[in-house]
Amino acid sequence: MNPGLLKLAVVGSRSAYGRLAGIAGGVAVGVCLLLLLWGGANGLSARDDRGAWLRETGSPSVSVPRAAGDPSGSGPATPVPLGSDTALMETNPAEVFRDQLISRRDFAALASTTVKIPGIGTPPEPGQYYASPALQRLIESTPRDELGDRFGTFAGTIDDAALPGPDSLIVVTGATEAELRQSGGAALVSDFTTNPYGGSAAPYNTVLSIGAIAVFFPVLLLISIVTGLGAAQSRERFATLRLIGASPQVVSRIAAAETAVPSLIGAVLGVGLALLLRPAVAQIPVNGTRMFAADLTTGWAAAAAVVAVVVAASALVAARRTARAGIGPLGVTRAVHEKTPTMWRSVPLLAGLASMTTAIAVTRTPHLRSPLLEMPLLIGGFALILVGIVVVGPWLTRLVSRLGLRQARSAAAVIAASRIQRNPVAAFRSVSGLVVAVFVVSVFAGASSIIESTEAPPTTPGLLQPTSLHATVDAGHTPAQMSEAVRHAKEMRGIRSATVGYGPAALSDRDASPEIYLRAADAPALGFQDIPATEIVTVDTSFLYFWTTQPRALTPVPAANLDGMVPVVIVLGTDGTPEAMDRARTLLNSSGVTAHPATTSPMDTGLQSPTRLIQGLAVLSYLGMFVAIAIAGLSLAVATASAVLDRKRVLGLMRLMGMPVSVLRRIITREAAVPLLTVLLLSVGLGFLVAWLMVTGINDTYRMTWPAPDYFTALGLSLLLALGAVTATFSLIRANTAIAATRFE
Amino acid sequence: MNNSLTLLGLLSREPSYGYDLKHSYDRYFGAGKALAFGQVYSTLARMVRDELIRALGEETGGGPDRKKYEITVAGQDRVREWLFTPDVPSESLQSELFAKTVIALLLDDDADRLLDVQRGEHMARMRELTRLKKDADLLRVLMCDHGLFHIEADLRWIDLTSARLTRLKKELQSA
Amino acid sequence: MSNHDTTAPILSARGLHHSFGQTEALRGVDLDVHPGEVLAVMGPSGSGKSTLLHCLAGVLVPDGGSVTHCPAGRAPLEISALGEPKRARLRLTDFGFVFQFGQLLPELTAVDNVSIPLLLAGTRRPEALRRSTDLLDRLGLDGMGAKLPGELSGGQAQRVAVARALVTSPAVLFADEPTGSLDSLASENVLTLMLELVREAGTTVVMITHDARTAAYADREVIVRDGAIGAGYRVSA
Repeated sequence: MNPGLLKLAVVGSRSAYGRLAGIAGGVAVGVCLLLLLWGGANGLSARDDRGAWLRETGSPSVSVPRAAGDPSGSGPATPVPLGSDTALMETNPAEVFRDQLISRRDFAALASTTVKIPGIGTPPEPGQYYASPALQRLIESTPRDELGDRFGTFAGTIDDAALPGPDSLIVVTGATEAELRQSGGAALVSDFTTNPYGGSAAPYNTVLSIGAIAVFFPVLLLISIVTGLGAAQSRERFATLRLIGASPQVVSRIAAAETAVPSLIGAVLGVGLALLLRPAVAQIPVNGTRMFAADLTTGWAAAAAVVAVVVAASALVAARRTARAGIGPLGVTRAVHEKTPTMWRSVPLLAGLASMTTAIAVTRTPHLRSPLLEMPLLIGGFALILVGIVVVGPWLTRLVSRLGLRQARSAAAVIAASRIQRNPVAAFRSVSGLVVAVFVVSVFAGASSIIESTEAPPTTPGLLQPTSLHATVDAGHTPAQMSEAVRHAKEMRGIRSATVGYGPAALSDRDASPEIYLRAADAPALGFQDIPATEIVTVDTSFLYFWTTQPRALTPVPAANLDGMVPVVIVLGTDGTPEAMDRARTLLNSSGVTAHPATTSPMDTGLQSPTRLIQGLAVLSYLGMFVAIAIAGLSLAVATASAVLDRKRVLGLMRLMGMPVSVLRRIITREAAVPLLTVLLLSVGLGFLVAWLMVTGINDTYRMTWPAPDYFTALGLSLLLALGAVTATFSLIRANTAIAATRFE
Repeated sequence: MNNSLTLLGLLSREPSYGYDLKHSYDRYFGAGKALAFGQVYSTLARMVRDELIRALGEETGGGPDRKKYEITVAGQDRVREWLFTPDVPSESLQSELFAKTVIALLLDDDADRLLDVQRGEHMARMRELTRLKKDADLLRVLMCDHGLFHIEADLRWIDLTSARLTRLKKELQSA
Repeated sequence: MSNHDTTAPILSARGLHHSFGQTEALRGVDLDVHPGEVLAVMGPSGSGKSTLLHCLAGVLVPDGGSVTHCPAGRAPLEISALGEPKRARLRLTDFGFVFQFGQLLPELTAVDNVSIPLLLAGTRRPEALRRSTDLLDRLGLDGMGAKLPGELSGGQAQRVAVARALVTSPAVLFADEPTGSLDSLASENVLTLMLELVREAGTTVVMITHDARTAAYADREVIVRDGAIGAGYRVSA
């Protein structure tokens, strides 16, 4: 192509610079986000890979021979001895500080061990510990009786290569073989797994893919919207070129070039922007820890690929749009008629819903269940629904505007409704970003509502108090030892009560009673209100479980005597402050009397539940949602602006005829509001439906509840953003429809 | 076009001999149709009779070609009256208007005004024809349209000429 | 026409000056427009015709000079001293506008296009639609009300524009090259119908044209040249 002609086409006039700047700016933002999100996704999996070793479960440390003659019974367990190629590891399921879960691994090994722990090397000596830098900082900044006493002496930090993120709280402590064998929970390990997802890799990947689609889609939409900027003006210019003899092919090529050039500039800018923003983005905590900035690096090949794909795609789309517009030498003198959207537009949406529903049906049908079948159905269905919303939007918008036109009273209503009815595709394109964002937000909000619902359990008589901690007591401890521990506990600040429960044998023992015996005098400290008038009372052991929801009653046991019993459980009541809770936890874990360090309170359960995976994803998704809404607002502003620019002349003449600017503002506002509100409700509904399908598709024990307030904040935010975007174009309306705009044409 | 008034106009620049007048005339207006000497002298004689011009001091051996003529005050008035009286639009108008314009420029008079006055006359005639068209039968409408288009052609010439007056004046003066 | 000289002008401009940057578009224009007259404003391109029309119609506020509007039965109003909202209201209620092309909203049907000024002025929609349809009928567009501008010929579209300009029964109709993009027959058609309605209603017309045959429909013409009116030379008809 003639370079002169190209230059003419690209920078034909002063107003062309605005359009080019718009394209370049939009593409820059889009590419920057794409790279950061890509980096984020990479970072997440890199991080999971680094943290994979924590999933190692090892092999049993005892061998249990099958009892002869009894298939279900078993003989006494015999310990499997430690070798030089194994180490004993105990995974502490509930090392909690404040509201954070600490990954704790206790190791015991022979001096000659060859086992290498990732990030550390040789297992620590008994009484020593290695901590991640973040945990070590936490230990140093917290009174020792709240945290440090739990672990022993500091031996060193764990290397970054074994940490998911800079904020990961991981501790590896050394213990004696006897200590670990005693609890019975230790396992033998010789090396560490590198599979970060275990058995749940498929659903995890499904959720991750859906999340990626949900976040990338609005970005692609933004790029598509900005490259269509000022299409009306360029149509006129192309008509002129056709008139002076350019063939349709040449015009298409020019259209491609004039989009490709600013896209290229924008894309390169975007790469630079992503590079600059990477350290800032790494500061955003995902799943409880920030990222290492290096995790967000996509590499030059990826950046080059994104630039190439974006530039090529935008150029192709521009060329195709121009070719399809059918610009003749006489220009598009008459209004370009959009093809009237029909009911067929609902097909992709329905197909997507059908696909996701099928996936759920498959999940519920055990003999059909297979990730190979579910994953494509779920992911494909989700993508179809996303595309489906964008495709069905114009049709719904047109239906609503047809109704609206009949009911219209004011000039603004007539003008806006007519425009929407004639150009539903263009009208909907303006708000498509926001509609999709709202859908994505609703999906995420619905999906994360499962965890939100377990927050802040109430205090109920008959159930374990949320502010209390308990630990079961090992066999072999005398009541005297217990009284000593209780006395010690009661001296601590913030600990209000220490109650010991008794039974005929330790709870882990075969002869354990289903009831816990208590002194009636201690009962009020556990939150009981109806206390029988006997000295000793009993309560069912299920009282201790956090998942118990029905209050348990005390039963009077007049004949019982605690003297023949052993302590089975100790319950510490605190004032509920995080400091007191941690003090109690540290005390119990280091008292030497407890069977499990698992001192749980109902408050901690959210930290340990299997839904934590989804909770982490929810953080990512709220992040994606923020991006999606921001982009959507941006694209709405861009689309509204170009809707004004495309009708500059006729709007200017209307103003000249005496139409007040306020009417123009109302027109623009309506043109954004009608398609937005039409599809918004659909988006919200579909979002929750899809969330429910997704959640139940992954695990059918999950239940969804009312979304968190964050969701309504997000919804309000998106509406505000829409309002802001439309308002932002008001000054543009005034400037571009001024008399001068119509003068020299 | 009116030859005698055109000659009178040429004479109002400066006193001249009949011979020079004929050549001036031929240069500006005689393209393809030069003026005969006889016609020049008979016209001059008639204008002397009408006291629009007078002969200056007769020289010896003087035939008509040896006489130098000068315009009188009455003659000058006559030229101005002619210049600024619009003509009824007609097909023969153009050469007359052309002559008037050239004379006005040669005399350094207001040629713009002359054209405007003529434009006004043309517009008045067009309005009249346009009014006639209203409620008229088609044949008459066609007739009026014929007239309208011809007058419009004149008007376009007038517009174009008024836009080119400055250049025309320069050319005439350097000729 | 001389018979207008006895009545007070409906629009009166005195000493209008206006510049766009370094370009002086108007340099001291005086002009009276009389009630009920059809005035053609002629002149070469760039002479300041449109600027004059914009000043008269209260679209532009001149840098210097004044424009006064004397509507029948109301107090004179100095348009050039009003703020934009008031001028916009005045343009909406007292003036009508027809332009060369591209003034119809392409997405609105003909009858909706015509009804917009009525809706803006507060008329109820059924009433506005009825009046618009009547006016379209009178302009020879019976049954075309439901068509979109893109489906109309140039002449038909201009007639819709005329209907929109006249639907509010304005006191003054401003037309800027109303037939500039039409062929002879279509423009004659539009002008005849427009002027018929205008004369019947006694509407004053200020019409910019560079076409003599269009100007011949007017009662008189003024010529704008280099930002001034070449007045004073014309003879009375």
